[in-house]
This record gives sequence, C-alpha cells and structure tokens, in this order.
Amino acid sequence: MTPSPEGRPEETDMELINRWKAGDTRAATRLVGRHSQALARFAASAGEWQGTEELVQDTFVRAFASLDSFRGESTLRTWLFTIERRLMLDRRRADRRSRETVPVQESDQVSEYGALDGLIAEEAQERVRKSLDALSPTQREVFTLRVQQGLSYKEIAEVLGNTEGAARVHYHNALRTVKEFLRDE
Amino acid sequence: MNECTDSEIQEMLPDLLNRALGDDARERVEAHLARCESCREELEVLRTVKSAAVFAPTIDVDRVVRQIPSYKAIIPGVEAPAWHRPVQLLVAAAAALIIIVGGSVLATRHNVRVERSVRTDTLEPRVVDNSNAALPPKWARVDSQQRANRGAPALAQAHALALTADVDGLSDRSLVQLMNEMDRFDALPSTEPDPVISVDSGDSL
Repeated sequence: MTPSPEGRPEETDMELINRWKAGDTRAATRLVGRHSQALARFAASAGEWQGTEELVQDTFVRAFASLDSFRGESTLRTWLFTIERRLMLDRRRADRRSRETVPVQESDQVSEYGALDGLIAEEAQERVRKSLDALSPTQREVFTLRVQQGLSYKEIAEVLGNTEGAARVHYHNALRTVKEFLRDE
Repeated sequence: MNECTDSEIQEMLPDLLNRALGDDARERVEAHLARCESCREELEVLRTVKSAAVFAPTIDVDRVVRQIPSYKAIIPGVEAPAWHRPVQLLVAAAAALIIIVGGSVLATRHNVRVERSVRTDTLEPRVVDNSNAALPPKWARVDSQQRANRGAPALAQAHALALTADVDGLSDRSLVQLMNEMDRFDALPSTEPDPVISVDSGDSL
C-alpha cells in the first residue's frame, strides 16, 4: 500500500471497490478521482478530444455497473481503459453510420486526430502531436498507453484484446516513426 | 550517433519515465543513460510525448460520481453493510407485525363475507318450468358458476336467471309480472337480497 500525503496508507482499488459495494459513496469519489485524468488523457491522445468528459463519465458508469465482473486479475486502470476503448470504438462506428460515409480507413481516423489543431500550443508539443498523427490508430493507442500511461505490454494487450508480442511490435514501430518524424522536423 | 543495441534497457525507458522501476533496475538504467547518447535522446522523445498529454480536459469528479448508481440499485438483493442490519431488522419486524395484524383483519372480514354469500346462494330467483308455463318465477338454488357471474352488474344478473320456460307462452299479465320481478332483482343488493314473496302460491322464503 502506498502512503497517502497525510501519511496514512493509501487504500487499494479493491479496498475502495469493497467499500463502495458496502454503501460508501466516498469510495466511488476516490476511485473516480484516482483514474479519471488518466482516462481523459488516453481519450484525448486517441483523438477523442470532443466529449472527453462524457466519455470518461460513461466509462465509469459502465464500469461500476459491472464491477462484479472485475476479478482483479488486471489492474482496475487497465480494465477501465478496456471499457473506455470499447466505448470509443462504439462512438466511431456510430459517427460513421450517422455520416453515412464509406467505411473509415486508418488515414481518416488520423485526420480526426488532427482536430486537436490549436489546442497544443507549445512548439515541441505541436511537433509531438504531428508525429502521433503519422501513426495508425493502433500504433497510437499502444504508444500512448506505454509512454503516457505507463502500462506494460501485458496490460496493453488486455486493453487492445491482442497479444503482448503484437503490442511490442506496435510500440517499436510507433517509436521509430515518431523519432524519424522529430528528427526530420 | 550510434544506435543503442541494448534492447533490455530500451524496453525499460517508458517504465523509468513512469516511475515504475524498482530501485535496482532504475539504478541500472540510469548508469546506462550516463554513457549512452542514443538512449538519452530516446528518453527525451518519450518525455516530450508524455508531457504532450497534459492538454486533456480536467474531469469534474463529483459530476461523474453523481451519475453512478449505488451498488444496491445495480445489484438488487445484495446484503447490506453490517451497520445497516439493525435498522433492517426493525423494518422487517414492523412489516411482519403489519402483515400478521392486517391478515387477521382481512381473514375475519372474509369469513363474514363467505358466511353471507353462503346464505345468499340459497336465495337466487329463478323461473321454473311449471306445468302450465304461465306462472311467475319461483326461488330456486343456482349453481356456483351462475353465482360467479354476479360480479358483473345487470347483465350478469340477468344470466343468473335461468328461464326454463318458453317466454312466448306467457300471457301479457304474466310477462309484466315477470319483468317487474326482474326489476326488483336488479335493485337487490348483491350480498344480502331481501326475501321475495312468490305471487302465485304465497310461499315465502
């Protein structure tokens, strides 16, 4: 258990989950506070800038509704990322249907990510954003989960529903692309 | 600058950035970084990518929590926490008391009604087939199915009257008499009919 700033041991996610099940709503507040920004960052880095808060909220509502199915085999955060990613895919499918366009290719999704124009002000960050634009959606998800969220390959594989080996390959391809992009700038 | 070939160290760079390494592994990576320009450059790229994520919107935690239903609402029938149990026991005891007392009152009322309905079962009016088929109705016992039809108002009561004689054979006077009798039946209370005196024989029930 990690000590809290007040010196008390920080409660684990499972302890907070059990407290929430026992009727303590403050435990839900602690859990949401602990993981909400990570979910928001993941959503933003995956191109879901608009409606990020709604997406995070939906993720928590869905997660809490099915907490009985969370066995603690992965971390709660990994499990939340999995739920959030499914919601993002559902959103994209719904967007495609509503626009009645041809199936969206990876290049189209890359342009969706380009909607972040103007939101990242500093030059270095703008360069990073452009370098991430050059990645496929899967590469971008793997890369941001590994670098920004600090997930292991095993956890990334759980979120994406593929293998550790595939996650590792996506990461290294993404890293090479980002490095080359930044070197050429 | 030569590319570093130590893949094990490279794999640990994101973990170093996210403070996910143990002390030994962290010291090993830092020692490597001190002499490897390629890995230092890679770590700088990773650090820039990580810092670019700070532009995610700030989430209103309270607003999110307000949308989350309670566990009891999601999973009905879950056991309440220990501090809820005394309250639940009191509520359960009160509910049991209400059920027992209420049930007793209802049972008593029901017995009274059954007693009354048994009496009224024997007092259903009925037109019987007399030998000359022109006599006014007499009282007769009706079966339980006819009894069940009493729930519906006038129409059901009309069905409860079993006309066994041909109406066409009745005289005008008898028909008027019969209709008057039927009007009186409609006016009777359903549970406690007044005794009706038969016109032709003067039998009273």
